[in-house]
Amino acid sequence: MRLRTTLLAAAVAATAGVTLGAPAPAGAQELRVGFSADALTLDPANHRNRETETIIRNMYDGVLTRTPDMQLAPQLAEGWSQTSPTTYEFTIRDGVTFHDGSALTAQDIKYTFDRLIQDGAMNGQTSPRKSLLGPLDRVEVKGDRTVVFTLSEPWPIFPAMLPFQEVVPDGFTGAGAEGGANVTSNGTGPFKLVEWRKGDAVIMERFEDYYGGSPDNPPVGKACVERAIFQIIPESASRVAALLAGDVQIINELPAHAMGQVENNPDTEVLTVNGTRTFFVALNNAQPPFDDPRVRKAANYALDKQLIIDRILNGTATPLNGVLSPDAFGHNPDLKEYGHDLEKAKALLAEAGHEDGLDVTMDVEGPFKDTAEAIASLLSKAGIRAKVQVAESAILKDKWRSDEAPEDGQMWLTSWGNGSLDPVGIFNPTLTTGGRGNSAHYSNPEVDALLEQAATEMDQEKRAALYRQAQEIVNEDAPWIFLWLPQDIYGVSKRLTNWQPSADSRINLHDACLK
Amino acid sequence: MTLGKFIERLAQLVPVLLGVSLIVFLMMSLTPGDPVEIMLGDQHVTPEQEQALRHDLGLDRPPHERFLVFIGNALQGDFGTSFYHRRPVGEVIAERLPATIELTLVAMILALVTAIPLGVLAAVKKSTIFDKASTVGSLLGVSMPHFWFGILLLMLFAVHLHWLPVAGRIDYEYQVEPITHLLLVDSLLRGNIAAFGNALSHIILPALTLGLAMGAILMRVTRTSMLEVMRADYVRFAEAKGLARHRILFRHALKNALIPTVTVAALETGTLLGGNMIVETIFGWPGLGRLVVESIFQRNYPLVQAAVLFYAVTYVMLNFLADILYTILNPRVKL
Amino acid sequence: MTTAVPASSAGASSAASPDRAARTQSPFWRNMRKFADNRLALASGVVVLLFVVMAVAAPLIAPHDPNATDLFRRLQPPAWMAGGEWAYPLGCDALGRDILSRIIYGARISIFIGTAVILVATTIGILAGLAAGYLRGWVDTAISRLVDILLAFPYLIFAIGLMAMMGPGLSNIVIALAYKEWVIPCRVVRGETLAAREMEYVEAARALGAGRARIMWREILPNILSPVVVVSTIRMANVIILEASLSFLGLGVQPPTASWGSMVADGRAFMLEAWWVSTFPGLAILLLVLSLNVASQGLRDAFDPKFHD
Repeated sequence: MRLRTTLLAAAVAATAGVTLGAPAPAGAQELRVGFSADALTLDPANHRNRETETIIRNMYDGVLTRTPDMQLAPQLAEGWSQTSPTTYEFTIRDGVTFHDGSALTAQDIKYTFDRLIQDGAMNGQTSPRKSLLGPLDRVEVKGDRTVVFTLSEPWPIFPAMLPFQEVVPDGFTGAGAEGGANVTSNGTGPFKLVEWRKGDAVIMERFEDYYGGSPDNPPVGKACVERAIFQIIPESASRVAALLAGDVQIINELPAHAMGQVENNPDTEVLTVNGTRTFFVALNNAQPPFDDPRVRKAANYALDKQLIIDRILNGTATPLNGVLSPDAFGHNPDLKEYGHDLEKAKALLAEAGHEDGLDVTMDVEGPFKDTAEAIASLLSKAGIRAKVQVAESAILKDKWRSDEAPEDGQMWLTSWGNGSLDPVGIFNPTLTTGGRGNSAHYSNPEVDALLEQAATEMDQEKRAALYRQAQEIVNEDAPWIFLWLPQDIYGVSKRLTNWQPSADSRINLHDACLK
Repeated sequence: MTLGKFIERLAQLVPVLLGVSLIVFLMMSLTPGDPVEIMLGDQHVTPEQEQALRHDLGLDRPPHERFLVFIGNALQGDFGTSFYHRRPVGEVIAERLPATIELTLVAMILALVTAIPLGVLAAVKKSTIFDKASTVGSLLGVSMPHFWFGILLLMLFAVHLHWLPVAGRIDYEYQVEPITHLLLVDSLLRGNIAAFGNALSHIILPALTLGLAMGAILMRVTRTSMLEVMRADYVRFAEAKGLARHRILFRHALKNALIPTVTVAALETGTLLGGNMIVETIFGWPGLGRLVVESIFQRNYPLVQAAVLFYAVTYVMLNFLADILYTILNPRVKL
Repeated sequence: MTTAVPASSAGASSAASPDRAARTQSPFWRNMRKFADNRLALASGVVVLLFVVMAVAAPLIAPHDPNATDLFRRLQPPAWMAGGEWAYPLGCDALGRDILSRIIYGARISIFIGTAVILVATTIGILAGLAAGYLRGWVDTAISRLVDILLAFPYLIFAIGLMAMMGPGLSNIVIALAYKEWVIPCRVVRGETLAAREMEYVEAARALGAGRARIMWREILPNILSPVVVVSTIRMANVIILEASLSFLGLGVQPPTASWGSMVADGRAFMLEAWWVSTFPGLAILLLVLSLNVASQGLRDAFDPKFHD
């Protein structure tokens, strides 16, 4: 009764709302992105958050960028060269202006990076992004258009890390505005900030004086749409609903199971791109039963991962037999495949003294509960009876990413992102002895040595060979159950043209048009 | 109410707020999880860099010291800096607050305007089909997991009928110069009817979702207390004196019957205020609830502490208000 | 029995209980009979009982192992839809588990959580509320401050915090919810006791020299029970739904255990393409809670001392 009355009231109010709140006049090109999380800050130097970067990268350009096929390309730089193992020289593009009209100079680049790497450079605090620049030691201006970066030790991925840093003007602190640099914006990007409605939307409009962007990334010119809005919709079902209803034209993190829904809708379609996040089950190599490589291998043989990819991930993942994405530098395509082989798994378990199988627990974060349960039930067919235990990510990170192997932790379904697509971003932290992300507590001196050597090897061919060798050893040691590399899935309106998702999870709206 | 009583009430705030702060602090300290670890994400970081960040966040101090620092600063109106937003917590909360307050008020108003008439009618027409239908209807209201109801509403009105937007608070086209920061109020004050309509179309679904259970509860409370009042001696006495039934109902019974409703409504406004994180998540509503839950999961201690303190102050104030209303409506009870 | 009664119990009930019969029976049976005469309430009581039986006998009734996954049945629709089969009448969830079997087993968890939390909370709440409201003084101050502190916490935030601290799991859910739940009956009881304290019947009892415990227990409690019962039944619904809310936030029961709340919460992501995953457990919650409420409403009408002058 009450329900019906209220629904009626809603209907009445709704009609009122629709007629009163007429949409924008036709012709004004407004592109809305249904996005899973709000920016934490608008200061490019003051966060460690992927979503924040995705949003503000539309207002800020970097020294370098990436092309759609993930190749490095100069953006604010015209070009660069490595002058010694530890020095890089960048020539800055001419004719670039910030949103406030001032021209980009080499000094702006220096200021940007000083702010990132100098201790206490941000009102007494140090930028949380400092560690993203590794051993970068100092930045010097050489003439009007040249900047020299000096590292304290060789670091081959330095250029690959530059697309993650956005350039701010010299002296940028956003002084005067409430909240300072965290809520204001003054970049060189294709869009400039109109309003940040915290928690609700980031509203941007086309920057009419945009220099055009990287020539390696055509089309060059100002952005296509006049206005771009990131509308924050955290709940995935609601994000899909907003796309289907036509409220937004792009959504990120489309759940694999909702792909059919988006495809069947005449106005929307699904776009996918290889991601950069490697999924695996970390096995506790320091404690029984997974201290025995035979048990670890048995687990790898026991899991029919293709079944999970097909049924749960809707085919949107690439199976892996190692740590690196097929797109990553130094990926070894010839690794031994742990195919689904129950007999072999059982035999290995028996050999290790587990004829009757074994009982283990697998930790997982809530969002991946389904996958973990599916993995557990498939493993149990070989006698590895895994009990799934859900906990918050904060708790699991505390438990697994510590120097000591967790005594009660046996398996953890987890992942590690590697936006740089260089092995240093994932291989070193997850598989070197004592590495920050080495949840498996895997320790192989041979791998440690290879990785250390590779990190500073300047000959790219030799470096790749070192990584290929390390991958082989890891593949043989099987510290994890190797899983897959999921694709990033986006739902888009068919009105949208000229937009492709990007493997580094950026949503670059520069080229996107609406018809 | 005398000034003395008022001051006494304010003084009672102190132990409550201290107790609340202590509990939150203990809870957050005893909860496993490390904000630095969460913040650094999947990156290769040296222990020195990690330690530097820990120092910047003030997490290298022992817990009891952090608590005293928090209390000391809070007394001066400084609640610290949000780990992730890197801005003063008070500022971050203040930005999200108006949306939450607006949603709560609209939900409560929706609940009251449906609950009181229906509750009174159900009591007056007790045991009729109307009473049973509205009872069952109100029970349906409380029996529904509200996120489920919200998603159903969203599917119907936003996806299938296209009448209402899925998410957000107001469309970009509408600029309302803030006065109270409540969009519905401000747009009316500014005479911007179009903006009002647009804001209304955004708030309807989340407010309905949030207010449904509250409306059901208030209806039941109204019905029950109305019934009890109608059985009370003075009503029977009035009846015996031959006063007209509607006059008895509205002059005598209703006023007394509404005491529990109003009290419950005032108290439950606090509940609604602190309970809308799920609705805010589903409808992408830019409120405080969502932010607080995210902050708990991210171990953003300063924000959680300050937000819970805010909720606590609001609750105590509403409680106070309920007491005042109770005294006004029922002079027999002295504060 | 007076003229006020017909208004209380539904329809023909009072006519069906002639005074003579009433006099020969104990009050309890007279009340039960009145309850039984309220057909809607009786039917609801039967439904609640059926749910309890279903929970107890789950292994005998459930057609499948509730935790047996089969990825080839992922999101299989209910039997009457294209692609469904009668072996899985309500379809399957995201891991191909039989939804009907999970609902049957899930009744155990949801009923347990609802009952356990409310029993614990109401007991504590009544004791504390009576003491605070009648004794007043420092007892009232102490209890009221504690209540104020706990009430000042938003419920979900408190529960989320506790769950984060203790970790997920069935018993932790009960603890997390009961920790705060008791203040609600306490608050109601205290308020009612404060009012009742001033009533003639209490003053009369006091004048007759009755002790404090006796007055609280014998005079006040029976007279304030009805709002407590009303509040508690509504809260029970609320507790079952709160469990669903915790599941929504990822803090529910541990897998593979099925609770209705977690089924609704986990299934919500599939609402667009597989509505049955979260709709059927949602309906189960609705039906149980609705029946509970209607039944207890009937009980209240039958047992409320104010109906027997």
